Amino acid sequence: MTTGPAIRHKPSSETAYTLGLPIGLGVAVLIGWQLAVRLAGISPVILPAPSDIVQSFGGVGGELLRQGWVTGFEALFAFVLSCLFGVAAALFLGFSTVAFETFYPGLVVFQIIPKIALAPLFTFWLGIAATSRLSYALFISFFPVTLATMTGLKRADTNALRLCHALGASRLQAFVAVQIPYALPYFFSGAKVAATMSIIGIVIGEFISANAGLGYYILRAQSYSETAHMFAAILVLCGIGLLLYIIPVQAERWVRRWWWD
Amino acid sequence: MKQTMAPLDLMLRPPIADRGGRSAALVLRGMKTVQFGRRIVLPCLLAATLLCAWEFGTRLAHLSPLIIVPPSAVLSVLMASYAILMQQAVPTVVETLIGFALAAAIGIMLGTALVLSRRVRQALYPHVLTFQLIPKIALAPLFIVWFGVGPTSRLSLAVFMAFFPVVISTLTGLLSADRNAMRMARAMMASPWQSFISVRVPFALPHIFAGLKVAVTMAMIGVIVGEFVTAQAGLGYIIMMASSAGDTALVLAAIILLCGFGLLLYGAVALAEWLIDRRMGVSITSSEF
Repeated sequence: MTTGPAIRHKPSSETAYTLGLPIGLGVAVLIGWQLAVRLAGISPVILPAPSDIVQSFGGVGGELLRQGWVTGFEALFAFVLSCLFGVAAALFLGFSTVAFETFYPGLVVFQIIPKIALAPLFTFWLGIAATSRLSYALFISFFPVTLATMTGLKRADTNALRLCHALGASRLQAFVAVQIPYALPYFFSGAKVAATMSIIGIVIGEFISANAGLGYYILRAQSYSETAHMFAAILVLCGIGLLLYIIPVQAERWVRRWWWD
Repeated sequence: MKQTMAPLDLMLRPPIADRGGRSAALVLRGMKTVQFGRRIVLPCLLAATLLCAWEFGTRLAHLSPLIIVPPSAVLSVLMASYAILMQQAVPTVVETLIGFALAAAIGIMLGTALVLSRRVRQALYPHVLTFQLIPKIALAPLFIVWFGVGPTSRLSLAVFMAFFPVVISTLTGLLSADRNAMRMARAMMASPWQSFISVRVPFALPHIFAGLKVAVTMAMIGVIVGEFVTAQAGLGYIIMMASSAGDTALVLAAIILLCGFGLLLYGAVALAEWLIDRRMGVSITSSEF
């Protein structure tokens, strides 16, 4: 990330800054928030102090974990499905030129449109059960995986492919030896987007067809004006989101080590 | 290094020169024409097939109009309530545009600030990155608590959702300037400001526009989610209202209109990128995306 041509500081003090500054800023914001709320007497309905939020973890922590389990599990399920479907679609389109030319423009259009507008349709067709949330999450997180993987397959080095051809490699061999390694980084960047998208899909589904999950809990807390509970639920949700994001990041690290060693 | 997206078939075919007696250039041109034709015809064919299947499938299977209506019915609703739908589209599109403009302006400014100061970058970047990763949509109800059910809450949600991709792409872009070009600018006694404008900015443009393209979609998503939750006006409100009333045709008509506007806004950003890239882009990096 650093591009400065000359390193002016000793590496150890740089590390201290890199770690210390963000943590210091975070702590300063939290303290400022706490003081501002307490000193200015802001109503806890508008903005609860950080201590209130911590307290509400004590009160409704069990409930949050239960609801978070539902949301997290559904998001994970949608994420795994979207990776499988996305790769399958990309392979199909990558292998057949006719299929690529037929479906690619449609895929791009679907990637660009605000798919959120289609969320109520899923509730409409599939009811308010988990199926509708799962299919909506799958629907919005599958496009990035397909498009990224396909771009990777298409970007494989033409010369390497020609070499495979000249060496008498079959189409499948060339695919495994050249195209898959080229496509892997692209696939993982798509999977990272999908990890974020799948939890967004589930939460939107819970907003619309609320009967369980953190999205439902957030809306319920809002209607009871329990803003501290809302903050706590949002924090849990963000934690789940980050955990989900770590999956493709870590998987990419493993695959890289395994593939290039 | 420009990578062409030639289909694998073309890449694996034997070299052109040894095909029959025709000249290589002629064969290549013929192949390109066929390929171009197929790229237009095949997707149109697919769309036509799907539309026909939808139309006749719903008619022949006698599906309840509560579940799905044929495209002809959607079209007739679109025509009949065109005035009302367009009237409801105005707040959605205007709020999206304002949200996008604010997010772009603040995002580019903050991204630039992060590049100019190393300490600011160290302090803020991890937080920006975390905010980029969390499901920000979950905060939508919070914005309603703070800003009420009026346009302010939708607008701030749109800015909040669209802002982070712009910051990160501006930062990445400005830091991606070619080192040799930067050294060259310094060797030619360019001031920091001059090298920023004439080296860093052109290299950053493709990244910034990639971020802006994400942001324009995000801004629209923010506004629509706001309309879902606050239910006051706009196409998102129409969708929610019509779906609770069981008016599937109206839901689909509003969705189609919304998607059309989404594509239009995205196209406007892509057009701006093309225009600016022609004026001051760097040809080396524009293909790196």
